[in-house]
Amino acid sequence: MIIAKVKPLNETKEMIKGYGKILNVGCAGCTAVCLAGGQKEVDALNVQLAASCKTDQIPIEIDGITIERQCETEFLAELDEMVEDYDAILSMGCGAGVQFLAERFPAIPVFPALNTNFVGVNKDIGWYEERCQSCGECVLGITGGICPVTMCAKGIFNGPCGGANDGHCEVDSEIPCAWVNIYERLKGQDRLDNMLKMFPARDWQNQIQGIIVLEPFKKRYSK
Amino acid sequence: MYDLVRGPLMWVAFAVFIVGFVYRAVQMFIVSKKKEKFFYPVSWAEKQSIGDYSPEEHRLKWLVSFKNSMLGNYPIVTIVTSIFHVCLFVTPIFLLGHNLFLYKAWKIRFLSLPESITDFFTLIFLLCGFFFLLRRIIVPRLRAISTFNDYFLLLITIAPFLTGYFAYHQWFDYKTMLTIHILSGEIMLMAVTFTKLGHIIFFFFNRFHISSEYGLCQGSRTW
Amino acid sequence: MAVGEAKPVDKGHVKNLLNKKKGKMKLSLFLCAHCGLCAESCPLYRLHNQDPRYMPSYKVINSLGKLYKKINKVDGSLLEEMKELIFKNCVLCGRCYCPLGIDISKMIALARSVCRSQGVCGVYPYSLGAHEEDFPEALSGMGAIEEK
Repeated sequence: MIIAKVKPLNETKEMIKGYGKILNVGCAGCTAVCLAGGQKEVDALNVQLAASCKTDQIPIEIDGITIERQCETEFLAELDEMVEDYDAILSMGCGAGVQFLAERFPAIPVFPALNTNFVGVNKDIGWYEERCQSCGECVLGITGGICPVTMCAKGIFNGPCGGANDGHCEVDSEIPCAWVNIYERLKGQDRLDNMLKMFPARDWQNQIQGIIVLEPFKKRYSK
Repeated sequence: MYDLVRGPLMWVAFAVFIVGFVYRAVQMFIVSKKKEKFFYPVSWAEKQSIGDYSPEEHRLKWLVSFKNSMLGNYPIVTIVTSIFHVCLFVTPIFLLGHNLFLYKAWKIRFLSLPESITDFFTLIFLLCGFFFLLRRIIVPRLRAISTFNDYFLLLITIAPFLTGYFAYHQWFDYKTMLTIHILSGEIMLMAVTFTKLGHIIFFFFNRFHISSEYGLCQGSRTW
Repeated sequence: MAVGEAKPVDKGHVKNLLNKKKGKMKLSLFLCAHCGLCAESCPLYRLHNQDPRYMPSYKVINSLGKLYKKINKVDGSLLEEMKELIFKNCVLCGRCYCPLGIDISKMIALARSVCRSQGVCGVYPYSLGAHEEDFPEALSGMGAIEEK
């Protein structure tokens, strides 16, 4: 799931400065699950923004609405009739949601109220950890289910590097070395020969926007 | 009474059926809305998709689509419901007795099936209807949503066949049974507009109205 | 705010929301043949040992269906009643299959919008069995904002 975090209040205030009437759009998808952009968070942010602006004597009117998912056309359509009344939109969706929202209403400035951090897991309530960088070339099958791209500070495909020290990373002695973990897990599963498989270096060049159209649907979307 | 159900009431039933059919079809068209079409940049997306199905994937594809189909999920219900609906249409239209009446009245007739076959169809239909009744009573998830209407509707659908069967075999008083048979048929025709039997209309149009994975095309009109 | 406590409801607003999509929604509700064939297409239904409360049509009939039936007298307790059904028992993945082609997920989405507009919404995370009052701070989103 996508994990995001609410931006510092001052940053958000700075962005919306100068716009009188603002619509804060929440997202009931991932950002609601990580307690960053659901209906409750929309209400909370609105209360804080209104109070803070009142203290600074900035005239502002801010309304909130939460839609199911900001990354889907059909749910964004619910906003069509509302947005005309507003000078600016504040989005509490992830980066994808903010962009899709801005794309649908190109005439209105759209601002992000969250920082989108990563694709991660709910380790426990309020505790989220990154697990995937969506690189599109999954090697977890060979690395014993530990991702070298995400968990290794250098993201190297053939580790460990010379900086591994006592099972920890040279970047921070608190961070465990991903490749040592991979080694340990493979050893436990008796699959150590995987360590010897050389991966060609990842092609980091020319990263273009990802588009996937599933095979059965191709006919539907081609001219 | 017999003259009434054969004369004016029959015309009323036909009129209500046809007007209702058109009304529902038009209503469906009106409440649907036009949808903008999307096309994808072929070469760009193609580069990133995993490519076409391999021969093996093609071979396995039918298995997946079968598993996901109604037949795969509910084999018995699918077969029973198919037989039920085919019998529902075929039996009355190709019944010898009906065609004789038609010929007497308007000098037109459809192809007629031998009476023993239509008799068999009726019996099968009644068994299927009984299956639906039992299913509604026994299966918990159906009991959870069943109302009086659902049972009533099943009765409306089955009644013409049951009385027709009785009339054909001349059980009970023939004339009375025939009157009830015609009356129940007329009630069923009229019920199409006003009850859930409206799926007779809905079924044929609606697949083009949804743009989900089950839609038949991208759908220029959609819900 | 305790769970189950009814909130005041803006009846006019609810009615407006419902009336805006009245045509297709009422037609869809009207035509649902209660056949129960949508059940297996719902991943949550499969997950929860075929509990009827996870069947798509059950969710729609008991949320949106009830809203239209009581369109003039929607109250907080009604919305609270359906809250679990449409927020917890459905993830709105849109994969429900209806042999008649009824768009089930849109209907649940509308029921959700109605509930949301009256401040009745799902509280995450359901999966951990957390209740609102157990984690007031975390769930209000304040924690993340206060930390500059």
